[in-house]
Amino acid sequence: MFVQWRNVKLILLRELRDQLRDRRTLFMVFVLPLLLYPTLGIGMLQLTMLFTEQSRTIVVLGEESLPPPPLLNGDRFVRTLFLDANHAAKLRVITASDILRQQQERIQSAVPETSEEERPTPSQLLISGREIQSKLATRNQHRLDLMAAVARNDEAETTRLRDSLSQIQTELSEMFANSGIQVLVIIPERFDKNVERVNLELADRTRTGSISDYPRPVIVYNKADEKSSVAYQRVTEAMNRWEDRILEHRLELAGLPKTLPDPVKPIREDLASESQLSAMMWSKLFPALLVIMSMTGAFYPAIDLCAGEKERGTMETLLICPAKRIEIVLGKFFTVLSFSISTALLNLISIGMTGAHMATLAQRMPGAHGGTPGFPPLHALAWIIVLLLPLAAMFSALCLSLATFARSSKEGQYYLTPLLMFTLGLTVFCGSPGMELTPFYSIMPIAGVALLLKGLLLNPQETMLYWYAIPVLTTSIGYSLLALWWSIDQFQREDVLFREAERFELRLWLRHLMRDKEATPSFTHAVFCFVTIMMLQFASFRFLANATITPSGELDAVQTLKVMMVQQLALIASPALMMGIMLTTSMWQTFRFRLPSIKMIALALGLALAAHPLSLMLAVGLQWFFPPLPDGIARLMEGMGDPKQPLWMILMAFALAPAFCEEVAFRGFILSGFARSGRAGLAIVLSSLAFGIMHMIPQQVFNAGLLGLLLGLIAIRSNSLWPGFLFHFAFNSLSVLHGRLGRQLAANPDNLHQNTFFYTVDGQGHVLYQWPTLVIAGTIFVGLIYLLVAKQGASGQPETIDSIDSQPLMGNVAMPRV
Amino acid sequence: MIHVENLQKSFSDLRRGQVTALSGVSFDVHPGEIFGLLGPNGAGKTTTLRILSTVLRPTGGQAIVAGYDVSKEPEKVRGHIGFMSCNTGIYDRMTAWEMVEYFGRLYGMEESFLQQRLESIFTTLQMQEIRDVLGSKMSTGMKQKVSIARTIIHDPPVMIFDEPTSGLDVLVARAVLKTIATLKDQGKCIIFSTHIMREVEKLCDRIAIIHRGQILAIGSRAELEKLYGEPDMEELFFDLISKSEAA
Repeated sequence: MFVQWRNVKLILLRELRDQLRDRRTLFMVFVLPLLLYPTLGIGMLQLTMLFTEQSRTIVVLGEESLPPPPLLNGDRFVRTLFLDANHAAKLRVITASDILRQQQERIQSAVPETSEEERPTPSQLLISGREIQSKLATRNQHRLDLMAAVARNDEAETTRLRDSLSQIQTELSEMFANSGIQVLVIIPERFDKNVERVNLELADRTRTGSISDYPRPVIVYNKADEKSSVAYQRVTEAMNRWEDRILEHRLELAGLPKTLPDPVKPIREDLASESQLSAMMWSKLFPALLVIMSMTGAFYPAIDLCAGEKERGTMETLLICPAKRIEIVLGKFFTVLSFSISTALLNLISIGMTGAHMATLAQRMPGAHGGTPGFPPLHALAWIIVLLLPLAAMFSALCLSLATFARSSKEGQYYLTPLLMFTLGLTVFCGSPGMELTPFYSIMPIAGVALLLKGLLLNPQETMLYWYAIPVLTTSIGYSLLALWWSIDQFQREDVLFREAERFELRLWLRHLMRDKEATPSFTHAVFCFVTIMMLQFASFRFLANATITPSGELDAVQTLKVMMVQQLALIASPALMMGIMLTTSMWQTFRFRLPSIKMIALALGLALAAHPLSLMLAVGLQWFFPPLPDGIARLMEGMGDPKQPLWMILMAFALAPAFCEEVAFRGFILSGFARSGRAGLAIVLSSLAFGIMHMIPQQVFNAGLLGLLLGLIAIRSNSLWPGFLFHFAFNSLSVLHGRLGRQLAANPDNLHQNTFFYTVDGQGHVLYQWPTLVIAGTIFVGLIYLLVAKQGASGQPETIDSIDSQPLMGNVAMPRV
Repeated sequence: MIHVENLQKSFSDLRRGQVTALSGVSFDVHPGEIFGLLGPNGAGKTTTLRILSTVLRPTGGQAIVAGYDVSKEPEKVRGHIGFMSCNTGIYDRMTAWEMVEYFGRLYGMEESFLQQRLESIFTTLQMQEIRDVLGSKMSTGMKQKVSIARTIIHDPPVMIFDEPTSGLDVLVARAVLKTIATLKDQGKCIIFSTHIMREVEKLCDRIAIIHRGQILAIGSRAELEKLYGEPDMEELFFDLISKSEAA
């Protein structure tokens, strides 16, 4: 297709001017980022200055038994017990003696005790504290009784005590929640005397025999209540330091060194430099911001440019100008792209400046520790620009496609919000600590870019990362071209451009489904079938995982095989067959049940034989690329080769059931639906993608995706389900047999480390094919594919393609038209 | 100039299932002629005209506009037509001048010629005072003027008007019809759709009555009168429609 760049430029310039005249866009793209971060920064500064934590109520019972040094100072903890002395003011301590003192003061100044507020008075708090204390004692007694009852095997008594114990526990929680106390500290009677006694006993070197323990203080709090939990942390901070001092005193009395309790206590040496600390901060912030902002930057202009244009009734005006659709899309695409890029860059600059400024401010403030988070190094900034381009291009094209589909701006927002949510989820995933770039992630959309940038900011010396840049950039550009192609495709579809604002009613739609049935499923039906299968797989995942584990926690092999077969039938074949019955008029055509020619059967079986060594060695060769298999799957794979299992059973579960069920679903219903788009090539690619994705584990997704292409081709060419079924069965059987052979070989050490012209056996008994085998298999494979794709079958009768409209077919998969 | 032969169009619809919008429409329009496409709502007028302007693709049949096939050379067709309908709005955030200038450039007009033509069109259509007014600030009448200016800026030999007066007040509608009449005098080939009888009677040289995607009758006013023995166009129209409904 010949593109006139003059038109693209004209449209681009107009759209840019149009957007720049729109105040909402200007605000989102330019004003918001420039103001947002400085405003947030100022806000945070002010908040930290103005922030005052309300004081929390601590009730201390039995404070007269506190041993020295002093823990309390009037209604506060002693200030020096806190790392930050100001924390003392955040805890209001209520003790009996303090109340007494206050009452005396009040009597002296003749001020009556007022309870004008809802808040309980100190004396009420004290009473509640005492009630909780006695309840706790009751509960402890119950526990002892229960233990005794259990020891006596007194069932009736045990049940009764259990019930009443849980009753008391609930009452206790309620009492505490209603008391208005955040933390209750109970000092046992004679605690100071006991501490003193042990101090003396320890100091007495002449003394023999063990030193008896004494009742300990109790701290009551509620972890689920935020106030209580914060107060508890502060109380423990003070009490720990207080305990240290008691311990110091005890050691001093006993003439022991202060280091006695910490025989190890290592010296910490943190080598992180200031620049590394700042790099770490930027590596967390920038990738996420880059992804989210390039998405947001594309979001609003895309909606305005496509859905908005439809809404304002100017879409048709533009469509009747001589510019080609592709030129219009490109013009709009470059507009969205420039907004996406400028939004992302402006946000990065703004947050960078704000961050650096805040850091210098923080450094000047008293009590600052740590250095300035300097700006990221220049080369990292260059990388940001390089990576931003394909990323922004992909988002722009995606947003454009979805916005083209929408009829109004409002609808556009509905379609784009899921994309935004998905992107947010992915950035959170990439930002989590320990997430690093692997070959697998490097070819994932968005994640590859985010992780590469994270790595480059964190560790610019790592040369491996620069190698990763190649796949990351190539795939990113590929994804953006794919998305662009999609949006151009959207723009050429009448049903997308001229979608009438029809009222959607579920009843109407269902009636339409039932009424307007056709011989084969529609594109939407195919997507729906795939989504249903995926959902079922997902929903049944836990159930199936549990079903295969024996009570002893072992993996039950036979049970697993049975479950696998049931799963295949119930969750893959049944939905497809059900939909075939409900949504189409011809099961025969939809599932391609017609018998194939002998030639096709022979071709399918030959292809399976030839594909086996190729696929196996490809998987071996790409092992480094994929993340390692999850443990459970690996064990399942092991079980597949286990010679103890009956072969027929394994073949049923791993070859027959999948061959039938997956073919019915993916080459039957789903492929037929996709083929209705009129493009056989696209249908094959989409069905193989669906087939791959259903396999979940990256290795299998890749493998199944490739095989899906082959199976789709076979199904379309033969227009029958059965050759694909035979291929699938033969291919899976070969894999099973290959695994079993390996296990048998491994049993005898003589078999290992063989090396012949065609194959080798490695240390674990895996049979690996040598290159001559691969060359032969490859040649046969290519020859058979040629036979498959080349003109009509040997039977002389053309393989009819009923399901495909008489429209030109895509790509090199030239098909005879009937 | 316009040659339509056995044009067909069908699409699927959620409510009605597979819908045939056009089933075999044929007609010819010559230069210096106004051809009226008369029919009730949903008759297939807009679909026909959208196919002629290449915005929709026909599912069958052939249409040649200004010597180019709409299916094979859609860009060429679009370059040689002026199209105006109630769906071809104008941009809110562009002034009248910018809007017409932009489309002139898209039509590939040479810059100095474009400026000349802009001046003359803005003068003839009395648009000089709204030159720098943004689309969002214009009244319906002003917008309609801009649309007409946009339609004729590249001086196309073929013009397509799809219900150009719908939603306009009497004064504006009259002005629009007057402009169309002037264009005819310049020798343009004009196709015009409406459901208003008066407009057809006043303006059109030949008429096609279209209903449910089919042409029921075609010819000049005099020819139709002779053929059906009914001098009143409105009566003729209802007769034909109700006969076709009954069939």
